[in-house]
Amino acid sequence: MENFVTGILINGLLIGTLYAIIALGYTMVYGVLQLINFAHSEVFLTGGVVAFEIFRVLSPAPGAEPGTGMNPYLVFAVALVTAIVVCGALNIVIERLAYRPLRNAPKLVPLISAIGVSLILQDVIKLLEGFQGRFQLAVNVPGAFTRTVFTVADTNVKGIDLTLLIVAAVMLFGLNRLVNHSRVGRAIRAVAQDRVTAGLMGIDSNRMISLTFLIGGALGGVGGVLFALKFPNLDPYSGTIPGIKAFSAAVLGGIGSIPGAVLGGLVLGIIENFLGSLSGLVFIFPKLAFLGAIKAEYKDVGAFIALIVILIFKPSGLLGRNATEKV
Amino acid sequence: MLELTDIHTYYGHIHALKGVTLHVMQGEIIALIGGNGAGKTTTLRTISGMQKPRMGTLHYLGQDIAGVRPDTIMQRGMSHVPEGRRIFGQLTVRENLEIGAYTVSDKATIESRIQEGFEFFPRLKEREKQLGGTLSGGEQQMLAIARALMVAPKLLLLDEPSMGLSPLFVETIFDIVQRLNRERGTTILLVEQNASMALGIAQRAYVLQTGEIRLQGPASEIASNESVRKAYLGED
Ligand SMILES: Nc1ncnc2c1ncn2[C@@H]1O[C@H](COP(=O)(O)OP(=O)(O)OP(=O)(O)O)[C@@H](O)[C@H]1O
Ligand SMILES: [Mg+2]
Repeated sequence: MENFVTGILINGLLIGTLYAIIALGYTMVYGVLQLINFAHSEVFLTGGVVAFEIFRVLSPAPGAEPGTGMNPYLVFAVALVTAIVVCGALNIVIERLAYRPLRNAPKLVPLISAIGVSLILQDVIKLLEGFQGRFQLAVNVPGAFTRTVFTVADTNVKGIDLTLLIVAAVMLFGLNRLVNHSRVGRAIRAVAQDRVTAGLMGIDSNRMISLTFLIGGALGGVGGVLFALKFPNLDPYSGTIPGIKAFSAAVLGGIGSIPGAVLGGLVLGIIENFLGSLSGLVFIFPKLAFLGAIKAEYKDVGAFIALIVILIFKPSGLLGRNATEKV
Repeated sequence: MLELTDIHTYYGHIHALKGVTLHVMQGEIIALIGGNGAGKTTTLRTISGMQKPRMGTLHYLGQDIAGVRPDTIMQRGMSHVPEGRRIFGQLTVRENLEIGAYTVSDKATIESRIQEGFEFFPRLKEREKQLGGTLSGGEQQMLAIARALMVAPKLLLLDEPSMGLSPLFVETIFDIVQRLNRERGTTILLVEQNASMALGIAQRAYVLQTGEIRLQGPASEIASNESVRKAYLGED
């Protein structure tokens, strides 16, 4: 029983961390523009595609002599940096072309534009890879990431799992320094609260908005690389489901709140893993045979039901601000 | 130091300022009074660069500043305390002050100005780490003024600093405005609904009505003007 719970917590934490990283991109952009950047799922997937390409080119082909080729961690670092640059830049371009011209339009208009960008990016990825005869992208994950490093309570912790936790911890630490303890971070928060007054203080709000898209895109890119190593079969639509989950995590935590996105991601990851593992309880409590009917495939349905229930009781999200705010 | 000549400002088709001409000299406190919708806020927004005038000239420290961006104007020593205070509610008191000094790059200067602000407004020091949104209305007004002082302005534009404050707080705010003027030589353009108080501390005043200057002159003369007494000082 303890092993069962530990397993759920570990796996939930890992998936949840991934959701959290992606959710940050949604929540930060929402914070400054009150816009749901639906294209974020594809920005994230672009990170995965970057990882696919980097590992395809730089890693030894599967079955090659062991010990040949570049060090897998070095390849990983190259993939991370490339994804940060590509996805950060992509997100900035998206804002410039698709959202900025609509800045003063009613809120619904840029939302439609966001959905459009999301669909366009799916097609672009399909085209780029399709030209090379690929639709399914099987990421060439080095053994270092798939190997089990240690086992806690019957749960195998792999190289990618440790990598994921370390990278996420470093990024969250850096993000906190940047947003809460730097001049630029203060300016971003000021723009998020009141763009006009921030302008009166001499802050160029367009630059801060671009910077927010850069940070969100970079986080999405890192998330995409980690995702590609953990779930190494991608296609042009692989961004959608994790994107929706991460967006839900952001809402669950309180959209616009950075700690909320992290908490929401973790909670969603754990709930999901719990529901996905329910049928496993049958082996521990044979009398609960009905649990066997709860197949792991239903975990998404369950997770969203849980999400709705939480939001009914806490509509502004776990760490969200109340809708009414003293002016 | 500041000179507006025949300024016209529009919001789309709405003609908010219809040829405003006024000037402010170094070291003065000037009151700008008028009823709701007269164009007082628009005048200040035009001066600080938030709204571009369509016609007329706008000179500040000898330079034409019509259409210049607010941050550039601010760097030339002008600061604007906007209507409704507009402090950053989710930032702490200290962070609000730091944002006020966004265009100041020297850290030591920023820190010494924060301390000066705390000397002027000891209440803010006690609430340094509190979120701006949790301050009382009067404290928020103090914060808005302290934030504007972070650039050590030569000219301070104040838009209805007494709005919504209890008489005691209004007194405090007006005292501070006078002290700023006396001790630091800050020139002040003060927009007020509270006309009697404003006329009490100003040297000269302008009366704005539906986008036009209706009256101007020494504050004492304006205060004793028959129609001003009726319209803005609540007498009949
Ligand atoms: N953003 C805007 N869009 C359109 N019209 C505006 C806008 N802001 C002000 N106006 C109009 O311009 C005119 C002048 O407004 P302004 O805010 O300058 O008045 P005010 O003298 O400051 O009034 P109050 O004492 O109520 O603050 C008003 O008729 C107002 O309706
Ligand atoms: Mg006004």
